[in-house]
Amino acid sequence: MKNHNLKLKIIKIFIFFLIFALLFLYPTKKILAQSVSLSLSPPLIEAVIKPNKSILIAYTIFNYGDPVILNAKILSFEPKNNLGQIKIKENFEGPIRFSLDNNNLKLNQSFFLKTNENQQLLLRIRVPEGAKEGDYYYTLIVESQPFTTQSDKSASFTKASIGANILITVTKTGKIEIKPKVVIFEVLPRFRLSVFGKKINLFDSTDPIPIVLIIENQGKNLIKPEGEIILKGNFGEKAKFALIPQNILSESQRLIQASPSAEIDCDNFSKSKACKRPISLLISGFFLGFYQLSTAVVFGENSPQVSANTSFFAFPIKIFIGLILILIISIFIIKKFNK
Amino acid sequence: MKKIKFLLIIFMIFIFSYLNFVYAINMESPLFKIQYGEIGIAGGNKSSANYNLSDTVGQTAAGQFNSSGYVVKAGFQYLHSIIPFRFSISNTNINFGTLVPNSPQTAITTLTVSFGGAGQYQVTAIEEGRLRTLDNLNSIPDTECDGGPNTCNESLAKPWTSNTAYGFGYNLSGNDIPSDFIDTNYFRPFPNREENEDPVVIMSSTNVGRNRQATMTFKVNISPIQPAGRYQTIINFVATPSF
Repeated sequence: MKNHNLKLKIIKIFIFFLIFALLFLYPTKKILAQSVSLSLSPPLIEAVIKPNKSILIAYTIFNYGDPVILNAKILSFEPKNNLGQIKIKENFEGPIRFSLDNNNLKLNQSFFLKTNENQQLLLRIRVPEGAKEGDYYYTLIVESQPFTTQSDKSASFTKASIGANILITVTKTGKIEIKPKVVIFEVLPRFRLSVFGKKINLFDSTDPIPIVLIIENQGKNLIKPEGEIILKGNFGEKAKFALIPQNILSESQRLIQASPSAEIDCDNFSKSKACKRPISLLISGFFLGFYQLSTAVVFGENSPQVSANTSFFAFPIKIFIGLILILIISIFIIKKFNK
Repeated sequence: MKKIKFLLIIFMIFIFSYLNFVYAINMESPLFKIQYGEIGIAGGNKSSANYNLSDTVGQTAAGQFNSSGYVVKAGFQYLHSIIPFRFSISNTNINFGTLVPNSPQTAITTLTVSFGGAGQYQVTAIEEGRLRTLDNLNSIPDTECDGGPNTCNESLAKPWTSNTAYGFGYNLSGNDIPSDFIDTNYFRPFPNREENEDPVVIMSSTNVGRNRQATMTFKVNISPIQPAGRYQTIINFVATPSF
């Protein structure tokens, strides 16, 4: 009996150690998933500064992802196209001097941020004495350090960076150069007819009207358009659409958007003209007859006004074709019955 | 009488289906509300001994400029936004496992952007160098997709379905991605910083949006003569707002 109990005890101890070994000594798979989620505010700063002056901007970087090592730096940028996209340059350019006023932090120096923690970055922007008047554009970039592991597998590691743009105008007097020009103001019609050398933009009555407005800034300082696009019909009807005052950087062009604009589902209406290129405004409704479109844009008080006009003709082409088809079918049926 | 009722029903169905077609395009965007800074809810100046932030749109305020020597405006004044600019990558370690010749390996990560500023946001991508071994002796070329008429490049996606087409590239699906990613078989190579190529825009939008998501599928396929080893690279994603 005693021997039996002893055997049972030995078996129990053996099973216990077996389970222990399975739990703790079995080779476990490494879990390497690492997420990055960053927020940076404010996303945009516009500053007009005299030489030999400095300003301090408080940025906040928030980490919503896993703990991460970050690094803040400043790079120059230039507009990439007329849609407001930017191209960040590889190197820092221009006379503006940047530094952090934080006690324990410098630009291009790594810092650690735990999950759901934030770090304030006190960015000092200084315009040296003798800095040339004009515009200088920069991006504050906060980038994560890639989490490279000593894995024995092939892998691609990702680095996440988030940026905030800084637009600086250096001027001694506060005066800025405003040299705007309307480059394109047109509709994108269903048909463009040429009658006696005159081009007519033709739409079906149910078509949404896509409008493109591109303004060029020929000056050396950024400008902000204010104005509207006005639609006038042949029965006296009138609709106004306000231009969104987006910055046009020096010596560049920008597609200016207007509001309220209709939206189009380009997944289902991919053949629409409004889906084939970026537009400023989409007007939807039922149009009949001749319409005039005009725009008048200013760039602040006492600035020159630029304006442009275009027009289009709308006719219920689809309904007209439908009616003709019904008429033809009806005549065909009547003739057949008469026979 | 029944015939008339039947015809009326048919007529009504026709009319309503036609109306539905006409109004498929919404008059207003549900995503944002434009507000002008001068009317701005959060107007006024924020200042301390060291800085002065103005939340309102205006002229280059002559009085303020002359007295302090600067005027600063923060944020997109024409848009009162409650969506902060935020960028997320779901997985920063894209593990391909052990690479086997003629057997493409794929791995995915999800990019998410929340953006409250009107105008534009963009996410760019660039590889810091080719997928290569740690000793720098061997590398995997960037993909050219299936080749011939289906040769892709950094700005044009083309089908990559052949198991004998080798290289490293990516596919995108989801919100705000370039239109040349027609389906999951369309790939592009990454631009390479070592070859002085510019980063490419992989996500962008002119609309305000919360949680705009794109799934990036990385794909690598090696030839039978590719030397064995552990190949690695770093992909740099940069999310920036417009100006």
